Amino acid sequence: MIFAMPAFLWYLVFLVGPLASVFVVSLTNATTLIAPREFVGLENFRTMFGDDVFWMAVRNTAVQVGVVVPVMVVLGFMLGYYLFLRPPLAGLLRILFFTSALLSVATKAMVFYAILAPDGLVNQGLETIGLETLARNWLADPATTLPVIMAVDLWSGVGFLAVLFGAQLTALPADVIEASRIDGCGHWRSMWHVAYGMIRGFVGIVAMLQYLWTLFLSAATVLLLTSGGPGTSSVTLSYLVYSKAFQQSDIGYSQAVGVVLFVLGLAGAVAIRSALRSRV
Amino acid sequence: MRRPGLLVSHVLVWVYALLLALPLYYLLMSSFKDNTEIFTNAFGLPESWSFENYRLAWEYVSLGKGLTNSALVTVAAIALALVVVVPAAYALATNSGRLGKLVERSLALGFLIPGFAALVPTVLLAIWLDLYQTRTFLVLYYVGTSVPLSVVLITQYMRTIPRELEESARLDGANRLQVLLRIYAPLAMPAVATVMLLTFINIWNEYLIALVVAGPSTDVRTAQVALPTLVTNVSAEYGLLTAGTVITLLPIYAAYLLLRRRMENALVTGAMKG
Repeated sequence: MIFAMPAFLWYLVFLVGPLASVFVVSLTNATTLIAPREFVGLENFRTMFGDDVFWMAVRNTAVQVGVVVPVMVVLGFMLGYYLFLRPPLAGLLRILFFTSALLSVATKAMVFYAILAPDGLVNQGLETIGLETLARNWLADPATTLPVIMAVDLWSGVGFLAVLFGAQLTALPADVIEASRIDGCGHWRSMWHVAYGMIRGFVGIVAMLQYLWTLFLSAATVLLLTSGGPGTSSVTLSYLVYSKAFQQSDIGYSQAVGVVLFVLGLAGAVAIRSALRSRV
Repeated sequence: MRRPGLLVSHVLVWVYALLLALPLYYLLMSSFKDNTEIFTNAFGLPESWSFENYRLAWEYVSLGKGLTNSALVTVAAIALALVVVVPAAYALATNSGRLGKLVERSLALGFLIPGFAALVPTVLLAIWLDLYQTRTFLVLYYVGTSVPLSVVLITQYMRTIPRELEESARLDGANRLQVLLRIYAPLAMPAVATVMLLTFINIWNEYLIALVVAGPSTDVRTAQVALPTLVTNVSAEYGLLTAGTVITLLPIYAAYLLLRRRMENALVTGAMKG
């Protein structure tokens, strides 16, 4: 077991320790990274719960998670079933899906920054097909900033989930789904009644992971595309943790939000996992 | 089977494929155009295939330094991670005691925690270790984040290696370390390769921790952190911006084209073991 100790210590020092510290720092009045801090009890939580920006972030995060996770998992599953049927040009689709999965958050943000430019791909495209009334400044309009943040996730995420679900379906004994097809099930029924039933547990795991990623990881996209604005129209909880700590010098508040995120993450993950537990 | 249904799904799938491909095509084409050409002709091929945008983007935000830093951090972290992870996987795979189970369980949980959850304390840790704004801290930190998934993947693979191999080697007088180095590590190479590719992708693409830990100095910052500064450095020059994005993408995409099957397997395996 001595061989396992360095890895385990590394894990404790760089992952578990910092995570536990979130709770400690949230109870202090730390302003900047190096300022001295004192224990102030639940003061930060009181400030946070009385802050409109926090509630805006809660609302935006709820919308974001509530739309992105179900849409991505359902479309991903249907597309995965499609890949499983070995349609024509499936190889080309796979390359495209993996390509989008390899983009970093910074490159994805730059791609969206470029296509959403006032005279960029999207607005020129809308003009070409006669919908120029829909053209707008996507990153500066409070009505579109949050949808853009969600679109960045969905754009590349659906394809990658499809590859995962497709691989999982291919790994099943092939005859069950084929048998259901011979019994006269249409693709729609065989997809939802047979294929879904067989990988339900796996769908649950993917949904849970996607929930955690969507909840925690939007800070970078928001920072790079909208900085939460205009106003607070695209502030998410994840971005609030970042901006309170590194832009507004309020580390204590930032970590109080961090605690809220952690609790939401844990509760949501457990809920999704038990709702979609494998019946097999 | 109702044929129209299948036709509709073909169409919908390819509409999505087009939505994925078009921005990437636009990215590549814009990198050879200037703003006027981009704004008037988003879809067409560029008038000339000049690499001027690439040269300027490279210079303006020191992308060369950024790529070097990314490469150094990535290679060092992968090497160090292997030294830490492979022995741990060996210990867990060959030990069925209660302690081993406990360690493995807690690592499997750790895989669920996105590193970002502890963004601020991670920076505090860097300051406390006196490694704030250094590449060294990034290396150490990335090793930490790769531990849970890497150990779990390699352990699972090593469990499939017959225990008789170890027993007979031990009878011949080999110690645990020799068994690890001569039998288990070589036999587990497929899993080790998967872990190396996953770690490569994750570290190369990581943004937020690299941003807050490494800071703005061009000597330390990675390519991912350098790239978005093109937006503020050269306001709204979309040709430069897209050229910089293509440069940043190139190393990982070249790896993908070279090792397509392996890379796809790694991504799928990495996501499936949750």
